[in-house]
Amino acid sequence: MSIINSLKEIYKYRNMVNYFTRSELRNRYKGSVLGVFWSILNPLFLLLLYSFVFSFVMKISIPNYLLFLFSGLVPWICFKSSILTSSGSIVGNGGLIKKVYFPREIIVLSSVMSNFINMFIALILIVPLLFVYQVPINKYYLLLPLVIIVQFIFTLSLSMIVSAFTVFVRDLRQILDIVMMGLFYTTPIVYKTDMIPEKIQDFFNINPIAIIIKFYQDVIYHNQMPNIMSLAVLSVCCIAMLYISHKIFSHLSKWFAEHV
Amino acid sequence: MEAIRVEALSKKFVLNNRPKMLKDWILMNDRQKKKEFWALKNININIHKGESVGIIGRNGSGKSTLLKIISKILYPTLGSIETFGNVSSLLELGAGFKQDFTGRENVYLNASILGMNKQEVDKKFQSILEFSEIEEFIDQPVRTYSSGMYMRLAYSVAVSSNPDILLIDEILSVGDSKFKKKCIDKIMELKSIGTTILLVSHSDSMVQRVCDRLIWLDKGEMVMDGISEDVMAKYSEKMI
Repeated sequence: MSIINSLKEIYKYRNMVNYFTRSELRNRYKGSVLGVFWSILNPLFLLLLYSFVFSFVMKISIPNYLLFLFSGLVPWICFKSSILTSSGSIVGNGGLIKKVYFPREIIVLSSVMSNFINMFIALILIVPLLFVYQVPINKYYLLLPLVIIVQFIFTLSLSMIVSAFTVFVRDLRQILDIVMMGLFYTTPIVYKTDMIPEKIQDFFNINPIAIIIKFYQDVIYHNQMPNIMSLAVLSVCCIAMLYISHKIFSHLSKWFAEHV
Repeated sequence: MEAIRVEALSKKFVLNNRPKMLKDWILMNDRQKKKEFWALKNININIHKGESVGIIGRNGSGKSTLLKIISKILYPTLGSIETFGNVSSLLELGAGFKQDFTGRENVYLNASILGMNKQEVDKKFQSILEFSEIEEFIDQPVRTYSSGMYMRLAYSVAVSSNPDILLIDEILSVGDSKFKKKCIDKIMELKSIGTTILLVSHSDSMVQRVCDRLIWLDKGEMVMDGISEDVMAKYSEKMI
C-alpha cells in the first residue's frame, strides 16, 4: 500500500490511535497510588541516581550536572522506551490482530505516542531545575518543537522496523535490551561530547540519537544556538527512513496474523 | 454492481512452523519437515451488492479462512480478492474490548477499531445502548460484565457501523433467545437496506432465513454455489 493511502487510512482510524494511546498510558500506571506522577518520579529518580554516581562519586567535571543530565536523559528515555515497548507491541496485541482488521501501523504509532506524552510530562521537571540553577529560559527554546518532530519521525520509523521483525524473530526483544544499554553509554548523555578522545569522535558524530540529544543539550544546558544544519540533514534521512520502514512494515504486516 | 470479487484464491498454511532455534541452525537440523496445508484451493466467487450469501461446510472446510481473507486479516497465497465498499466484520465479538475501560469507553474504542469517528459514535450511542440492553451498567468497567452483557454490547457496536458489506462468523450464539431474535431482525433490516451479507454458520435455520444464495465448501474446495434451497438440499443429503 502506498504511503498516501496508508496515511488516509490512519486518518480514518484516528480515533483508534487516540484510544490506544490513552489505554497504554492508563495501563502503565494502572492501580498505582501516584498514577501519572510516575512519569515525573521515574526520570527524577534516575537523574538523582546518575548524578550521585557520576557527579558525586566519580567527580565528572560538568557544572550544573543535574541540568546537563536532564537535557539528555529525558529524550533518551523516550527513545529507549519507545523502541522497547513497540518491539513487543505487535506480538502483545496478537489477539486483536488475529481477529480484526485495522491498519497495523496504529499499534506502533500509539505506543510511540504514549512514550512521547510521557516525555512531555517529564519535561515539566525543567521548571524546578531552571529555578534551582538560576538559569534563564532563552529564545532557542522555540526551536525545540523542530527537534521533537525529527525525534518522533526517527523513533517511529525504527519502531516500525523492530515491531515487525520481532514478530518473526522473537529474540529481537532481548537483543534490543542489550543494544539500548550499549547505545546509552556510547551516546553523550552522562558525559559531554568533548570528553571523547578525538580519534574516535567521528564515530560518535554519526549516531543519530546523539545529534538529537545534542540539540536538547545546546538549548537547555548550553544556552546556545543548536546545530540546525545537522538537524536538517538528519530530518531528510529520517523521512527517507520512514518511507522505507513503512514499506517493509506493510509488506511484513500481511503475515502478522499467522505468526503472532 | 460487484461487492466482493474472489479470483483463483488459494491459501496455504505452513504447519509445524516452530521457529528455528539456534540449535537447529548449528546442527543444520532441517529434519523438521514443513508440512503444507492448503486451506483454500482455487476459489472463485463473485458477490453482487445487496446479495446475502451463506458459506456452509463441515469443520475445517476453509469457511472461516475465507472470511478472514475477505476481511483482510489474512492474505491470500495465490489469487486475488477485492472488496468494494465499507467492510465490517463480526468475526470475533469483543476482541478489542479493554477490561478496565467502562462499557461507554469500550463502545467508543471498539467503534474506532471498526473505523468510525467520534461524531458518528456520538450520534449512534443512544441506539447502541438501547440495543445492547446494558442500561445503567454502561459506566461500569466491562470486567464486571457477565459474558452475555459483554457479547450484547460488542454485537451492538458491530452492527451499528452501517457497513456496505457485513461479514458474520458463527456469532449468533449470543445471549438469550430474545436477544438472538433481535440480532436476526437487525441483520434482516440491514439486508433490506441493501447491505451485502456474507455469513458463515453451522445453524441451518439461520442460514436459510438470511441467505438467498449458498456456497458449499469442502476441504478448501468449492463443491456447489447456488440458490439456498438447492444447495441446502444437496448438502443435507450428503451429511446424512
